[in-house]
Amino acid sequence: MIVLFALVVAILFGTGAYLMLKRDLIRVVAGIILISNAVILFIIAAGLTRGRAPIYPLPEGEPISDPLVQAMALTAIVISFGITALLLSLVYRVYTTRETVDKEDLSLAEAEDERQLEVERRA
Amino acid sequence: MTVLLPLLLALGAAPVVLVAGVLGARPAAWASIVMAALACGATLWGRWAGGGALDVAWAPSWGLRLTFALDGLAVLYALLATGIGVAVLLYSARYLPLHLEHQGRPARDAIRFYALIVLFMGAMVGLVMAQDLLLIFVFWDLTAIASYYLIGYDRHKAESRAAALMALLVTGISAVLLLIGLLLLQALYGTFALPAIVERATPGPAQTLAAGLIAAGALVKSAQVPAHFWLPRAMAAPTPVSAYLHSAAMVAAGVFLLGRIYPLLRLSPFLLDLLLVVGLLSMIFGSVLALTRDVLKQILAYSTIAQYGYVVVMLSLGTSAGVVGAAFYVIAHALAKSALFLTAGTVTEVTGEDRLSRLGGQWRGLPVLAAASGVAAAGLGALPLTIGFFKDELFFKAALERGWPFAALATLGAALTLAYVWHFWSGIFLGPLRGEAGRPPLPLVAPIVALGLLVAVGGVAVAPAADLAEAAGRVAFADLQPVEPAYHLDARPENLLALATYALAATIIAARPRWFRLAAATARLGERVGPERWYAAGLVRLNRSSRALLALEVRDLRSRIATVLVPTAVLVAIGLWATPTEGAFRVGRITVTDLPTVLGLLLAAVGALVATVPRRPLTLILALSSVGYSLAAVFAFLGAPDVALVAVLIETILTLLFLGVLALFPAELLKDQAVGPAPRPSLRWRNVGVGLGAGAFAFAVGWATLSQPAAQESVAVQHIRLTPAAHAKDVVTAILADFRGLDTMGEITVIAIALLGIAALLGRRERPMASDERRATSDERASGEEKRRREGR
Amino acid sequence: MTVLTRVIARLLLPSTLITAIAVLVKGYGDVGDGFSAAVIAAFGVLLQYVAFGHRAAARALPLRAMPAVSFAGLLLALLVTFGPVLRGQAPLAHSPAPGADVIYLGTLELHTALVFDLGVFLLVFGFAVGAIDLIAGATDRERGQGPL
Repeated sequence: MIVLFALVVAILFGTGAYLMLKRDLIRVVAGIILISNAVILFIIAAGLTRGRAPIYPLPEGEPISDPLVQAMALTAIVISFGITALLLSLVYRVYTTRETVDKEDLSLAEAEDERQLEVERRA
Repeated sequence: MTVLLPLLLALGAAPVVLVAGVLGARPAAWASIVMAALACGATLWGRWAGGGALDVAWAPSWGLRLTFALDGLAVLYALLATGIGVAVLLYSARYLPLHLEHQGRPARDAIRFYALIVLFMGAMVGLVMAQDLLLIFVFWDLTAIASYYLIGYDRHKAESRAAALMALLVTGISAVLLLIGLLLLQALYGTFALPAIVERATPGPAQTLAAGLIAAGALVKSAQVPAHFWLPRAMAAPTPVSAYLHSAAMVAAGVFLLGRIYPLLRLSPFLLDLLLVVGLLSMIFGSVLALTRDVLKQILAYSTIAQYGYVVVMLSLGTSAGVVGAAFYVIAHALAKSALFLTAGTVTEVTGEDRLSRLGGQWRGLPVLAAASGVAAAGLGALPLTIGFFKDELFFKAALERGWPFAALATLGAALTLAYVWHFWSGIFLGPLRGEAGRPPLPLVAPIVALGLLVAVGGVAVAPAADLAEAAGRVAFADLQPVEPAYHLDARPENLLALATYALAATIIAARPRWFRLAAATARLGERVGPERWYAAGLVRLNRSSRALLALEVRDLRSRIATVLVPTAVLVAIGLWATPTEGAFRVGRITVTDLPTVLGLLLAAVGALVATVPRRPLTLILALSSVGYSLAAVFAFLGAPDVALVAVLIETILTLLFLGVLALFPAELLKDQAVGPAPRPSLRWRNVGVGLGAGAFAFAVGWATLSQPAAQESVAVQHIRLTPAAHAKDVVTAILADFRGLDTMGEITVIAIALLGIAALLGRRERPMASDERRATSDERASGEEKRRREGR
Repeated sequence: MTVLTRVIARLLLPSTLITAIAVLVKGYGDVGDGFSAAVIAAFGVLLQYVAFGHRAAARALPLRAMPAVSFAGLLLALLVTFGPVLRGQAPLAHSPAPGADVIYLGTLELHTALVFDLGVFLLVFGFAVGAIDLIAGATDRERGQGPL
């Protein structure tokens, strides 16, 4: 199981990193979602015990799942939800001001803006 | 009560003034004067009642207490802050309407001014009474903030704004030094309470460093060389502000703090020697520059640097006479300096001139003012029959105790002081008439007369001021020898030095044409290569580096992401290479009961791999949600139903949100993205390479970590045991809301901030310039597109 | 959307909210807590959007108040967290103290951890519905007032 968890975490992380390097911002957001998923899975996999749900009354003689990692994973899930929603609206805002979600177009436009500002400052 | 009353009156003054401001500017002025007078009276009453202390625990579990005490040091500085405050406010009540009228600003602007001055006063009173280092820091910063707004009060002038910013930045650095120092002290002695620290302090390098940092902060605030340059700039403020800033607040706060931590400074002779050097430099440098200045307020500004240099020297001489003398000096200086500043303000108001070279002979039109400010000037110049005589007597006494070289330097400093004071006063009032003569309104003269009277009375009956100074000295110096300043008509060394001073000053004044060029050249050199240049260059450097960082950040987002991923990978690789790995990795067993989990994991992996392929965003989103749901199933199989429930719910709502946002983009854009020009092959392989590398390292780290579970009993076991006591059955919920609730608190704060961010990004209000922006950028985009095609091919 | 969907959507709103509240108050005894309850409640509202469109939903529900709801939740949680500090206890020291008697309301045990969870619920609910509302509002503007 240990290798399998590590392998799946690695796949999620690797595909996330690959998507983050893509040109359009939507895929960047997708990449961040995948990386968050990788991290949450990693946290859960790091639990010291696996078994029944940690809810009283506890089963006699059976192992119970590590509740600490679950609490942390919950926190991580909710935060990644908030961040993803923020990123999505950021992407939309970028689109409304620049009419593109392509990173290369954006950096060209930024450079152009900088140049214009510099010209104005000189003038 | 003796502590609380002055404190509350001083701190409550600003709100009272603002409330009175509803009625208009004049009521606000009167409210400020009354509040300052009440605070002054309450301080006097507190001193009469024998002082006192106040200690309220407001967050005891974190060791946070509100501790104030009205000791000798606090009484002295609080009396100055409130007493000089009354004089300055009385003066402002007439001066400010005129000032605003000259600038064509509404009279209501004055309300803010009065409120800020009394806020400044409140911050000073709080600072001097605070016995807790954290409180000292808070009030220290409050004085900086109040002074920022006051120096930049004429906010339409670029010069004022720059001066205010400079004062804020420079004294902000002082606050940082103070903060580091007090945190060090807390780490050393485990408390922020100053009396306890003084009790526990023992000499040592760490203690020296902490006290040195705090002293450095105090020196910057007191405008000592080489951090003196902000003070002459701060003259851009309206005159009453300068008068107050120099005599009773802000600059005085620096030497106050030196007095407050004096027991700590005394532990290190090295620190005292360092202070001595800084003080002497400031004294000589400030005096020489003051002699070369032409603008009235500039002379006084450099004089302040020199005068606080005296105070630092006296403190660092480390004798009873020095410590009492320093406190006495602060009183005498505050009275005389505020009177001289107000004189400069009145003269400028009447004649419209602010330079010595265009003024002269004004005693004809302003005889009362000339007399009152003459007394004040004599006080600053330490002539007999003024309070100033005793400040120099104590100064000489302290210097003599240390040795003749110091006495010689003290004499030189005192002579220079007398010379520039004469230069200032005679330049305005004596000689042939230059500048218009006029009659000033009474309120612009009365406070100066009052201050001049105090200077003269102090020269006859020295006991009240001496008592104040001695009480203040006793706080700093537990084993204080009584020093009683008095007139002695005999040939003791102090008197001889005073006579030498007068003779030397007369020589300096008479020989002015001979040394003036040299002094002016020194001043110019200081301006060209001095610390003010370093400050300006530092600002330019900072701006440039932040622009460079911005350029790096914005130019290519992908390189930026890669620059995060690649160094991380390198670090991880080094870590893996350096760690012995033999037997560290475990494969783990898979049993039949694990099959559903394995299935879910495999589905998630497939979903993630699929997500890299599609060109259509819709397919991408579906692949993503399949990953999310598979993982939720895995969580459920692993005995984590809470996580599984939240994961399913959040995955669903996130998918819907993602679809909703996609619906906002026009179909052409998405199609364009999907079909668009294919990336250059090299880039594509770079991306695949980075992805594979990131995956490989995540695998290595993940496997290594998961193979090594912590050996000792998990905290979780404790949590499980404690859950019934916490009135809960679900351990996970109990952890979230109780055992580790602070984590949850932090998390929901993040969520709240994210909501603010979304609201700011998608809010209903369209920005007015958005449409123009859009047009402009779409043009740019077209040209950018073309450029890229050319490069791509 | 058909009439049937609308009727069902309207009927589902109260029952979703009741489910959410059940998940919230039972959080201490069973699966579920403030987060899941909040997201379930948000689904109820999202359904109204899908069925009636943004404008109608915005008329029927107090959506403008969502950021306020969110921050009320944050304040509530902050109060429970740092209130004990003022009384000289550790942050998040719940009352009644561990092991002490609690007031039962049916099988529900009343204590301040529940208030904390309520704060979390309000905040996440406000966040989710607020985000949905903002995105739907942006869609309206993009499409010239049309429903989602």
